[in-house]
Amino acid sequence: MYLIRSCMVFYKYFLLTYSLLSSTEYLSVMVHLSSFLLKKYHGGHVVIRLALGGATNRPFYRIVAAYNKWARDSKYIEQLGSYDPLPNIHNEKLVAFNYERIKYWIACGAHTTKPVAKLLGLAGFFPLHPMTITEAERRQKAALTEEVKMDRQEQVEQKEAL
Amino acid sequence: MATFSFTRCLVRSYFCVKCVDHVQTRLQTTASRSSKYSKSQFTDTEVQDILTKITGLDLKKVFQPIRQQLTPPKYKLMTDTELEEAVRKAEEQAKHLLKMPPVLPERKPVNDVLSEDQMLEGMGTAKYVFTDINFNVPHRERFIVVREPSGTLRKATWNERDRIIQVYFPKEGRKITPPPIFKEENLRVVFEQDRHEDVLNQCVVQFEPDSAEFKNVMEIDVHGKYDLLRSTRFFGGLAWHLVNGRRIDGLLVDMLQSDLMQDAVRLVRLFNLVHPQSESAQHAQRQQATDLDLLKIYAQYESNRAGFIELAVQTYEQTKALSSF
Repeated sequence: MYLIRSCMVFYKYFLLTYSLLSSTEYLSVMVHLSSFLLKKYHGGHVVIRLALGGATNRPFYRIVAAYNKWARDSKYIEQLGSYDPLPNIHNEKLVAFNYERIKYWIACGAHTTKPVAKLLGLAGFFPLHPMTITEAERRQKAALTEEVKMDRQEQVEQKEAL
Repeated sequence: MATFSFTRCLVRSYFCVKCVDHVQTRLQTTASRSSKYSKSQFTDTEVQDILTKITGLDLKKVFQPIRQQLTPPKYKLMTDTELEEAVRKAEEQAKHLLKMPPVLPERKPVNDVLSEDQMLEGMGTAKYVFTDINFNVPHRERFIVVREPSGTLRKATWNERDRIIQVYFPKEGRKITPPPIFKEENLRVVFEQDRHEDVLNQCVVQFEPDSAEFKNVMEIDVHGKYDLLRSTRFFGGLAWHLVNGRRIDGLLVDMLQSDLMQDAVRLVRLFNLVHPQSESAQHAQRQQATDLDLLKIYAQYESNRAGFIELAVQTYEQTKALSSF
C-alpha cells in the first residue's frame, strides 16, 4: 500500500519537474532521487539576488530573478539588471535595474536578498535599508575615533619634539 | 557580400538620420506653436523649403565614394525609361540622405535633487549611478539617478546621461568618451585639411543635436569654404546659423560668383523671414519686391559688400538680356 502511494507520489513529482515550469511562485520539488521516499519537501520561492560573475579579483554581479534552491551563479528565470562593485574612471559604481520587471516579480511574491534591498534603497525605489544607515553611522563613529587618535598622537609627538 | 557592406554603409548613415528625425518630430510640435508671434523658427515649412532648395541636389557629391571595402563596379544594361527610373530613385535616396540635422535650442542643465539624506554621509567614496534598463522607455525619459557619497540623490547631468545610455544601449559609431578630434586645436587642423564633412558626420553621430558640444562644433565651421558643404546635409544648418548671425554676405557673394541667382534670392528671402524687423525686410514688404529687386534692396540697406552685390546683379541682368536676343 505504502509502495503504491510512494510510486504515485514519485510519478506526480516526476511529471511536475519535467513539465515546463510556470511563472507561479511555488515551485513543486527539486527531486533528490535518493531520498524522495522519506523526506517532505518545502516549496521554494522566487528570489531577486546577485549572481556573481567576472574574473579573479574582478567581481561583477547580475541582478537576477531565480528560484531559491537553484545554484547562485547558474540557471535563473530572468536577468533584471547588473551591479559593478568596482568604481570606474569617473568614480562611479554602475547599477542597472529593470524597474518594470522588478515590480512584476515582487507582485508575484518574490523576495529580495539583503544586498539587493540595500541597492534598491539607495536607488530610491525602496525605502532606505536600516543596515545602510547603521553602517554609515558606524563608519562615521570609526572616522571620529580615528581623528581623535591622530590628534592625540600629534600632540604626543609635539610634546616629545619640545 | 558587396550588397551587405553597401547596405551596412547606408544603414550607418540612416541610423543617425533616423535618430535625428525622431528628435525633430518630437520638438516640432512645441516649436510650431510659438512661431506665429515671434520670428520664423528653423522647423517652419517655409524655412525648411528654402533651406533644402539652397542645399541643392548634386547627386555626384551625395553619392561620393565613401571609404569602404573595394568591390568591382557593377554594370547594368538599361533602357532609357529604366535609366530615368534609376535616376529618380537615386534622387529620392539623396533627399533622404540630405535630411538636415535639426537646429534645436540648447538643452537646459539638469539640477533636480530627489532626496537629501545626511545620515548616509560616511557611506563610501564612490557614487552610485542607477539606470532604468527597460527597453520600452525612450532615452530622453529614462530614469538615471546618482547617489553621491554625501547622501544626496540627484538626477544625472546631460553628459552623464549620454555616457551611461551609451554603456547600456550602445549606438553604432558613438564612443563613450568623445574622441579628441572635437577639441579646439584638432578641429582647426581638420578644417585646414578641408575635411569638414567627415568631422560634421562624426559630430552628428557622437553628440545629441541639442547638446552644447554639438553646437560648438557647428559654430567653429569655417566661413570661406561653402563649396565643401554645398550638397551635403549640413548646408541648411550652416545657412540658418549665418542668417541668425546676420553674416550672409560671404555666402551671397559666393553664390553670385557661381551664378546661383535663384539661391541668392532665396537666401535673402530667408533673411527677411528670420529678421522681419530689419530694414531690408520692411522695404521688401512695402514694395512687394521679387527676385533681383530683393537682392538690390538687401544690398542697399543691410550688406557690407553692397558694391559687389549690385555689380553681380547688373551683370546677371545684362547676360540675361544678351542671351534672350
